[in-house]
Amino acid sequence: MSPLAEMAAILISPEDRDAVLGDLAEAGAGGWSVLGSLLGLVLRQQMELWREWQPWVAGSMAFAGSLLLLCVSFGLSVDSRQLLRDEGEYGSVVCEALLMLAWAWTSGFMVVSLSGKTRWASCILCAIPCLSCVVRFHDASLPRVCVLLFLVPAVAGAVHAVRRARLSRRTALTLAVAMTALMAVWGGMYQRNWFFFVPAGWLVFHAERSNRPRQEISA
Amino acid sequence: MLGEFEYMLITVAAGLGENAYGAAIREEFDKGAGRKCSIGALYTTIERLERKGMLRTWMGEATAQRGGRAKRMVRVTPKGMHAAKEFYEAMMRVSRNASWAAGKPERAS
Repeated sequence: MSPLAEMAAILISPEDRDAVLGDLAEAGAGGWSVLGSLLGLVLRQQMELWREWQPWVAGSMAFAGSLLLLCVSFGLSVDSRQLLRDEGEYGSVVCEALLMLAWAWTSGFMVVSLSGKTRWASCILCAIPCLSCVVRFHDASLPRVCVLLFLVPAVAGAVHAVRRARLSRRTALTLAVAMTALMAVWGGMYQRNWFFFVPAGWLVFHAERSNRPRQEISA
Repeated sequence: MLGEFEYMLITVAAGLGENAYGAAIREEFDKGAGRKCSIGALYTTIERLERKGMLRTWMGEATAQRGGRAKRMVRVTPKGMHAAKEFYEAMMRVSRNASWAAGKPERAS
C-alpha cells in the first residue's frame, strides 16, 4: 500500500479499517485505486452524517454561539479593565466571568455531544467569526485575543464530550439552575442571552438520556 | 421503502448466506448486476442498513489472502428480508403491464 493510501486509511474508523483494507487486498486493488476507494469511502461517510439533523444544529450552534461569546468575551474584558481602574463592581464582573465560563463550556459540550463526528465542521464554523473579529479588532488598550477568552472553556467542554464523560442529572441541573440564577443576579436576562438556555437545556436533556437504563433508550 | 441499491445489497447478502462479507458481496454484485460496486457505496449502505436494523455485522476471521485482515461478516435480519420482499413485490406489481415484463411488443408512449 502506498504511503498516501496509508494516510487515507487513518481517516477511516478503526472498526472499518481492517475490513476495508482486507477487501481491497482480496480484490487485488493497488496504488491509486486503493487511495481512490479509501477517499471515496471517507467522503461518502461524511456525506452520510449530514443526512441527519444533528450536524446542522451543532454547526449552527457553533457559529451563532461563537458570535455571541465573542461579544461576551469583549464585554468581560472591558469590565475587567474598568475594575482594574477602580471603576467597576467586583461582584458584577465575577458574575459575568462565571457566566461566560458556563455558557462557553456548555456550548462546547453541546456542539460535540450532538455531533462528534462532524466536529471539524463545527470548528471551522466557530473559527470564521473568531478570525474575522480578531483581524478587525482595534482597541489600543486591549489585546486582540481578549475577544477569544471563551475559547478555553468552550474547548474544555468539547473535550469533555469527546471523552464521552457522563454528567450526573444533579450536576447538569445544578449547572443549568446556577446559570439562570447568575443571569438574574447579573441582570443579563436580555434578548441575546436567552440563546444560552439552549445549551443549558441540552445539558439537562443529555444527562437525563445518558443516565437512563439502556433498554429504556432502545425502547 | 428500500432504495434500489439497498435492495440489491440485501438480496446479494441473503444469497451468499454464511459467506456474506464485503469482498464477496462486491464480487457477486459485479457478476449479477453487471456494474461495479465501490467500497464507499458498499460500506456506507451496510452501515445505514445496520442502523435501520435490516443487517447485522460482526468481525470474522482473517485470511492470508486478505493480508491477515479480518472480514466484516454480514447477515440479513428478518426485518431486512421483509423489507426486501416488500420492495420486490412492489416492483413486480408496478411492472406487470410494462412491455418488457409482460412480454408484449415494445410501443412508444
